[in-house]
Formats: sequence, structure tokens, C-alpha cells
Amino acid sequence: MFSGEVKVIEHKDFPEGLKIICGLPDVGLVGSIAAAHIISKLNLEEVAYIETDLLPPIIMLENGLPRTPIRIFMGDGIAVLNSEIAIPSDAIYPVVRGIINWVWKKKIDKIFTLSGLPVPNRHELEKIRIFGAASNDAMIKVLKENEVEIIERGFLVGPQALILKYCVERNIPAITLLAETFYNYPDPEASSVVIQALNRIANMNVDVSELVEKGEEVRLTMRDMMRRTQAELAKMRKSHEYDVPGFYIR
Amino acid sequence: MSVRRRRSIFDLLREYVEEIETLTDEMVERLMEKPSWDVRSQSLEPLCDVYVSRDKVIVTADLPKADPKSIRISPIRDDLIEITADIRVKINFEDLGVSHRRGEFTCFCCRVPLPVPVEVSGAKARFVRGILEITFPRKKGYEIKVE
Repeated sequence: MFSGEVKVIEHKDFPEGLKIICGLPDVGLVGSIAAAHIISKLNLEEVAYIETDLLPPIIMLENGLPRTPIRIFMGDGIAVLNSEIAIPSDAIYPVVRGIINWVWKKKIDKIFTLSGLPVPNRHELEKIRIFGAASNDAMIKVLKENEVEIIERGFLVGPQALILKYCVERNIPAITLLAETFYNYPDPEASSVVIQALNRIANMNVDVSELVEKGEEVRLTMRDMMRRTQAELAKMRKSHEYDVPGFYIR
Repeated sequence: MSVRRRRSIFDLLREYVEEIETLTDEMVERLMEKPSWDVRSQSLEPLCDVYVSRDKVIVTADLPKADPKSIRISPIRDDLIEITADIRVKINFEDLGVSHRRGEFTCFCCRVPLPVPVEVSGAKARFVRGILEITFPRKKGYEIKVE
């Protein structure tokens, strides 16, 4: 392995035609919390990890044994990509490119990316809205059929932006689900909203009641990861998502 | 013989901005390299945010499991406030999924710098869905009339 390379190391064989759900750290940690909840609820098994020297020298200890922070879990015809650490902003391009290259080689059926859309008055919202974007027209149709509002025009910054970009290049069907959320506070309620939309679209049945009930515990536990993620979001100019795109002539 | 190109004012400005950005990044990274908890004072540092608008400064803090009646907001200086709140039930490291550390936490505590002058006496605060929101009116300075 050479410096800067990103490899997916598999412990188990991957069947063709899998759906993969990506929950990487971003605003409100919506994707990270949702991915962790799905892994726990469906009792998914760790089957692969991302190997690269672009991440800080960190391991996760579980029962005294080392684990790599970005891992893939699998079961019931789905795989879930999850990261235990904030991904450094300058590693996002190569990491996402490496993952999507692997997805393409494995002939994955579809990618679902779960994340958030920051809104300044999130704590005043009674109902969280969900928005979507996709890699092709067929996937946009799927979103519309499932009553997910499409982002007609606007900026997307971060891992989900690059996942969509590389999926278009590789012709991989991909859907991004974004729930209204806090910029820098963990938001389990928004995670429950994206999981409910995913349940409808991907014909899954992940119960979210526990996620809502234990919301305060989740917010306490995710404080440090949010702090680290916020520092990386600032470096990747995440606030660009608030910007109004320039004048457009139809 | 090499020709030494004179740097323009724009080159100097760009270098100056880059230097400031590097210093800011280093400062943020240094601040991050400390724990978000303090076992001696049994306190957790909450996540905070500051938003500056034309006429207001809004400070928010995420206080899950906080007792709303115990929330205190104290001005330390003109440009610094302290937020404290008791946690409804004691939390230890095991509750946070960590078994190799000892200590328990009973409160939230943080100090938030205010980036622009505010009227502290005109501040209003509310606690909505575990988020504390403090709104300060901005201090008005001398107004320049347009002729």
C-alpha cells in the first residue's frame, strides 16, 4: 500500500446487488447517528474496513481489541458504512473516491446517503422536513414517488456531495436524504426522520422509537464527535450550503 | 543571473491572509486538544454557538438532561458570559459507554465570548427542546447620517 491510498479490506465476501447506506459525520451527525442505529437495530455484522494513512493514527478499542474507525457492516441484503471519527476535510476526496471505486467493482445495486440540511432555527421547528437529491432521473422519480421534496437548486458540501458526484461518474444509482437539522448539535430526531424516509424508499423496517426516546442520551454521547466534526465542517466551507446560487437564466 | 520579481501589494495581502488562517487553524486545534469534561468540578462542557445579526447576538447551548430551573447565565465581562446548569441525574463515564475512566458529572458549565458589544441588561433567554437560547440586543454606536 502506498502513501495516500484508500483500500477497502474485506473480512467476508460481498454478494452482488447489495444496497449500501452511508452515514458519514456531517451537520447534526444525522447520518452517523442513523447509521449506528440501523447497525444496532438490525444486528449487522462487521464485514470490511477502510485502510488509509490519510486518517489520524486512531483506533477504536472494543473489548480491548483494535478496530478501524471507518467500517462496513452487513446483513439482510444491506450494508452500512459508518465512521466513528470526524473525517479530516483534506481526506474526504480520496476516502470517498476510494469507497465509490470499491462500490463500483462490487456491483452494488444502490447507494443511500443519509445526512442533514442545516437550518438556523432548528429548535423552533415542530415538524422536520426532508429533502432529497439523486445521481440520475430514475432515482429522482423514486424520491418523488415517496413524497421526498427535491432540492431543485442549491449547494451541497461534504461527503454526500462527493458520493453523488462520483456515483454520477460511475453510473451508480444513488439517493441522498437530508433532514432539516442543527449545524453543530447532534440531532437524533432528524436521524429518525431520515430513517423513516429510508424505510419507505428502500422497503426496510427499522424501528426509530428508541432513537427518539433516548434522544438526550444520544446528544450527550455524541458531543465530542460533533465538536471534532464541526471543526472539519468549517474547513470544508460547509456554510456554502446557506448561499444562494448565482443568477440563472432559463 | 536570476531576476528577483518584486511582490505586489496583492501578493503581500494574500500571504498575510494565509498566515492569519494558519494561526486561526492552529488556535482552534489547540482548543480542541482538551477534554470536554472536568472530573474535579464534575462538569461537562456543552456545545455552544454564537450568531451575530444586524441588531442581535444570539447564543445557544445544547443542554440535554439539564434541569431548566437550574440554568444560570452570568456576565463575567462585557464580552464574556458563563452558562451553568445542573443535570437532572448524575452521569458517569459508564453511562457514556466508557468503562476505563472514573468520575461523575452533575452539571454543565461553559464560558462563551461575545464577538461584538451587547446590552447585557436587555438580554432575554428561553429553553426550548433542550436548547438554551440567549438573545442580546447589540449596542448602538454613533449613527452616520447620509446627506
